[in-house]
Amino acid sequence: MDTDGLNDALGLSNDKSQTLGAYIYQPPKHGKSTGERPSKRRKVLSTTSRDKRADRQHFVPLLNGDEKAESVQLRYDTYQELWSKQENKIQDILEDVDSGVLMDVLSFIRSTSPQTCNGCIPTALVTVGSNVSSLSRLLSRLNGQLISTEEGSVVVLESGDAPNLKTTLKNIIRATVTNTDGNDGYQKFLIDRAGPRLLGYDLDLLHDYVQRKGTKKLVLALRDSEAFDPGLLTDLLSLFKSWLDRIPFTVLLGISTSVELFEGRLPRSCVALLQGKHFEVQEAGNCVNRIYETIQADLNTSLWLGRNVTSTLFENTSDYFQSPEAFSRMVKYAYMSHFFANPLAVLLANPDSTVLTQSKLCKAIRNLPSFRMLCEDLIEEGFTKQARDMLEDDEYLIQETPKYLDANQQRMQKMFQAVRVVHACLQYTQSAKKPNVSDLSVRALSGELPESTIVEEMFATAKTLDSDKLDKLLVRLQGIMISPEVDAIQEELSTLLDRCSESGPLRSGYNINSTVTKTTVVQQRIRLSKGQADLSEQAVEYTNIVDRVIALLQVHLTETLINPQNLFLHEAFLFDLRNPLKETFAPRPRFATERALATPFDYLLSSSDITMTGVSAKQPATAVLYQLYLDSGALVNVHDLWQAFYGVFETEEAGGCDDRVVMSLFYGALSELKAFGVIKNSRKKTDHLAKSAWMGL
Amino acid sequence: MLSTEVASSLSTQWPCRDVQMRQLASLLSPHVPSPPTLVVHGISATCKSTILRAVLATLEVPYAIVRSSECITGRHLLTKILWNTLEALDQKEEWEKSGKGRCEHVSGLSVLLEECLAARSAEDPGKFVLVLDEIDRQREAPHTLLSALARLGEIIPSLCVVLVVSSTPRPLFLQCAAVPHISFPPYTRREAIHIILSSDAPVVDGLPDETSSRVYPYFVSTVYDSLVGPTAGSIPDFRSICERLWFRFVAPVVNGETPPGGNNEWDFTRLLVKNRAIFRHQGESALVHRIVPDETPATTKRTPLAKTALPSALPSLPYFSTLILTSAYLASHTPQRLDTIFFSKFSSSSLSARNKRAHHRRRLKVLSQAQAEDRQAANDCPSTPNKKGKRTKTRITKSTLSSAFATSSATTSAIGGGAGIAGPSTILTARPFPLERLLAIYHAIDPNPPATPLRVAAVADRIYAELATLRRLRLVVPAASHNGMATSSGNTTADAGDKWCVNVSGDWVGELAKGIGVEVGEWLAGGLD
Repeated sequence: MDTDGLNDALGLSNDKSQTLGAYIYQPPKHGKSTGERPSKRRKVLSTTSRDKRADRQHFVPLLNGDEKAESVQLRYDTYQELWSKQENKIQDILEDVDSGVLMDVLSFIRSTSPQTCNGCIPTALVTVGSNVSSLSRLLSRLNGQLISTEEGSVVVLESGDAPNLKTTLKNIIRATVTNTDGNDGYQKFLIDRAGPRLLGYDLDLLHDYVQRKGTKKLVLALRDSEAFDPGLLTDLLSLFKSWLDRIPFTVLLGISTSVELFEGRLPRSCVALLQGKHFEVQEAGNCVNRIYETIQADLNTSLWLGRNVTSTLFENTSDYFQSPEAFSRMVKYAYMSHFFANPLAVLLANPDSTVLTQSKLCKAIRNLPSFRMLCEDLIEEGFTKQARDMLEDDEYLIQETPKYLDANQQRMQKMFQAVRVVHACLQYTQSAKKPNVSDLSVRALSGELPESTIVEEMFATAKTLDSDKLDKLLVRLQGIMISPEVDAIQEELSTLLDRCSESGPLRSGYNINSTVTKTTVVQQRIRLSKGQADLSEQAVEYTNIVDRVIALLQVHLTETLINPQNLFLHEAFLFDLRNPLKETFAPRPRFATERALATPFDYLLSSSDITMTGVSAKQPATAVLYQLYLDSGALVNVHDLWQAFYGVFETEEAGGCDDRVVMSLFYGALSELKAFGVIKNSRKKTDHLAKSAWMGL
Repeated sequence: MLSTEVASSLSTQWPCRDVQMRQLASLLSPHVPSPPTLVVHGISATCKSTILRAVLATLEVPYAIVRSSECITGRHLLTKILWNTLEALDQKEEWEKSGKGRCEHVSGLSVLLEECLAARSAEDPGKFVLVLDEIDRQREAPHTLLSALARLGEIIPSLCVVLVVSSTPRPLFLQCAAVPHISFPPYTRREAIHIILSSDAPVVDGLPDETSSRVYPYFVSTVYDSLVGPTAGSIPDFRSICERLWFRFVAPVVNGETPPGGNNEWDFTRLLVKNRAIFRHQGESALVHRIVPDETPATTKRTPLAKTALPSALPSLPYFSTLILTSAYLASHTPQRLDTIFFSKFSSSSLSARNKRAHHRRRLKVLSQAQAEDRQAANDCPSTPNKKGKRTKTRITKSTLSSAFATSSATTSAIGGGAGIAGPSTILTARPFPLERLLAIYHAIDPNPPATPLRVAAVADRIYAELATLRRLRLVVPAASHNGMATSSGNTTADAGDKWCVNVSGDWVGELAKGIGVEVGEWLAGGLD
């Protein structure tokens, strides 16, 4: 074996340029001390201040690096502006969703005491289902409330904080004190007291604290109660029980499965210590739907998520444990990627024409498929001059583009308005499964909604609505659609109803009750024929109104529910790339590891120019061994493996092959594979290795 | 004060403990020298600590009580003993003198205690009683702790150490001869009823006092005989059960129902006959403490029964997690040697494979049936050797089967609900499985397999993420912690070779799986048919 090959194999001659294909990620060190409870307000502040410093570097110039600096900055600013608006909306929704449970829990905490619970520890069981994150939100708000009224505080404990009783108690005490007094307060609290210094886990400390502060309720919240060790939990709770006469504990248990399952796993003695009430937090799904609706269908929205992104987002919500926060993070990522990588995003900032005057940007606009469509349409409609100007005159293009953008954005807004109209109508027409806004949006975004069966059925049922329901529907529509036609119809209907208020709800001519089935015998066969029953005058009038409503809706929907892909500049205001989103939020470490081992030159630069397939001695020894391992069965003889490994090196380095070096490579590779956890020693046969991982699972 | 006086002054408040009070009073009396060590023992809820405290307070002996259950470590206990003693002796300000309030070892404690006691003013050289409550429950106690503490009284003459233990002490457990023991036996039937009756019956609106006082004693003794006595319930339990059931018991009188048999008045027997069901259903549920108490008011008898029978709404998981949980369940409940038959994709659609599967399911079921019959037969005449058990050729031995039947635990329960079998039709308890097997089974049972199998690679990684969540919820646990629970919870790492185990009931998994279109019974050995 020549030295080059050997060095190559041993990785000795690795200069940096050869490994450029792979990057090593080194996480930055955080200066924050581990024990300190991160206060949320401060955290947000610190990140924003850091962001301002690093603003400039965030976005890179696009268009092959020729983008103007102002334009880059504009993209970033617009992103910040748009997203902060959306984020505020999301935050409002999240707070609104929890408020009901928050009030319940708060009143429970205020009203209960050990006396009302037969001497047990007052316990609030909060089931959160798959909406795991909502609990921490709830707790922080609860904490704020209790502190502001000086009733007490909430201490949040996670299973990670509770390896054993001593540490758990220490953490509880520290968290309680730092929660109100900060870290310095805790240190001061430890030192600054009469008498000997107590041990950190002594609940006397907490007792002292409670007395000093006059705490009435000390809420201890276990965020993931299931993950706590039942033995530890029993110990902890029995300790609390014995201190209950001095420290006013209330326990809040966050449960993700069900109360029965949780209770069943605890020892009876532990259950006997607790008594309380059960609260339920809303499922994540509702929350996510509301967030989506607010983000997309709001009238001020100027950037929309396309069909692919939407379906990816909702797939994640339904398939995996995902919190509303995670959902909003994904939306944020989508916004970020749009502004980061799309030079056209600068158009959303409504810049003045000086910023836009870049030949490359014009070129980019002209290269859009939607531009091509627009030109074709213009020519078809006979505006050849305009089309030519658009194609040739940069200034004209820049002058026209914002107009088109504005118009099309309005059409998008109208489209989502129409989606909401459909949604509102479905509330009245469909009794069983009501599709939510997100389902409808996916259809609308792909342009399928007007022809879909949902809408057809909706119209069919809407025809048969009685006057009461129609009245309600119209009132609802007035809130969504701003059109004088609706008002007019509504007025007419109400006058009609006033006239005949005593006769009960009116039915239209399409209603099943007002059709009559006639039976006639024709040539010894029975023929059924349907005919209109005689309608009263009001009913006829009502039928007219129904017809008008339907017609209005039909016209409105066909007008507004356009396919967004046909709009000019939809590339600028519609983000619809499935890929960065999907890949980013589903990391594939195992797949990457397997691939790196099986085909190392996908990641490393090969030293030879020929692209090699299959095993070769140029590859790292671990990769060679892994590929041999892939060929083997569930049990493999080590000697056989060694022989094969040696064979690889022998064939490549014809002649001088030092088997001691190869042997050391083999051992190194073997232990690395062991560290990966893909092989282990077999118990059945001493000289065999057992496979414990299969590729491609 | 004489010991009899102490006892008589206290026995109104705590009846039926006269003997113990007299013993304590005479041993701890300030005028008589006390034994250096005293052991008070008795099971929980026998009034040990309360009576000890009361006696000490009445005798006006200086004393300190340390509750061992509140001390986390041995060192903590010693520090607390010292601190509480100082407090009781009003020497709290002088903690600097006595080892700066720090005490790390029993020998140090004895020196410090001696100093404290010696520092008392000369005119009051009386005895000092140190009560160590629940000392046998001390956490992280060195094994010499008890005997060392028992020596304290010998070293320091004016000190008397009282050890309160809740387990029955073994002979010479203090390594010390002739330590006086005072036993607090559980209350007998007569005593318990006496204690309950010493307080009045709970007041019920609309119930005449006369009826109440007439029926209540009978009611209390019936409750004791039916519920408290057999379950060795304590006095607080007894009291709370009585309070809870009394309203229901006298409900017929309050509601003004006419008593049967043409009588005008309800007497105890009639009420009992009327309310038999209370003792059967509500009584049992009254014995079991729940975190969230049933809040159904006891107006009608039917509704609470129906409510308890209904299974509460179980949580639903996201699609992907459900599928993983189902795979974990199958991996736990299918013998590994049948994997190729049940999960192999090569033969999944062929007739023979289906036949094979059905055959195995049936065989396992026949096996379980035979087992059930065997048990029946064994119950009838134990001498008959069973033949059926031998005929079935399977590696699942009889002992595993019978143990599976005996422990029809929460982890295994019926899925198919076969008519013939009394026990669970899933005959195997959950077994640990390696992670790779879970992945393989996941691919086998996936109801919506990906159209392009080349893209599957991402699934394993997503499974890990979801599995972490399932583990946090304790639905799937690492096999080691499933048994021992010894390993600390939280962020322990798991190797690839480590085994996992499902930790929930089969019914629920079956229902969840049905929701996403997977029929668990189809894959499970002994599941369907």
